[in-house]
Amino acid sequence: MSSRRSSRSRQSGSSRISDDQISDLVSKLQHLIPELHRRRSDKVSASKVLQETCNYIRNLHREVDDLSDRLSELLASTDDNSAEAAIIRSLLNY
Amino acid sequence: MASADKTINTDVPEKDVFAIHFLQSLSNLRIQNLFNSPDTTNYRVRKIKKAAYVSMARAAGGTSRLWSRALLRRAAKGNNKIVRFPRRKRKVTWKISSKRRRSDQRAPVVEDAAERLRNLVPGGGGMETSKLMEETAHYIKCLSMQVKVMQCLVDGLSPK
Repeated sequence: MSSRRSSRSRQSGSSRISDDQISDLVSKLQHLIPELHRRRSDKVSASKVLQETCNYIRNLHREVDDLSDRLSELLASTDDNSAEAAIIRSLLNY
Repeated sequence: MASADKTINTDVPEKDVFAIHFLQSLSNLRIQNLFNSPDTTNYRVRKIKKAAYVSMARAAGGTSRLWSRALLRRAAKGNNKIVRFPRRKRKVTWKISSKRRRSDQRAPVVEDAAERLRNLVPGGGGMETSKLMEETAHYIKCLSMQVKVMQCLVDGLSPK
């Protein structure tokens, strides 16, 4: 019981600090996303940053899918086309 | 305590940590003889994708991040394995339903975008907005590392 009460008071006390943290985090996210980073202005709104973050994450997921596809094809074929391919295959064979 | 601490750490490990974890996952798949059978392409792709996400979550710190915990828990469900998650020593974290989330105080425009973000980041559904954004920053960094590792592998294996 007491832990719940104290955690609630901790949360209400921190909501004032969190708004500053939010704008700090928004600027951090802005720096991470390549599209927004190019503009280099501080005038990008928080919702725009979040929107671009969503798009960026979706793009990254799509890239992972695509690369998984290609890796699957490449690993299934057993011809070694280069020295690097041989090294990678030997790594995967323990 | 996290609320009093102003500096939020979103550092991720170096690329080789991600590479080592991914290669280990791939060699486990090879041991299961996954790469020799020709007619299970979709299954193979799904296994590789799952290996990518799981190895990324492990490389990023395993259970020390909310998104990686959620990812590993999701993956473990599919395996029917019993996975132990160490009890965190901080205060007990309750899953905050959307009704009780404190962030409803914030500007609704921000909250709409945050809601969409919650669907994309693993484990985002229970997070408060500021925590969600911290986890998102870490998640994005780890995802781009994983993509770089996979791109290097593809480049190395491709015919010249």
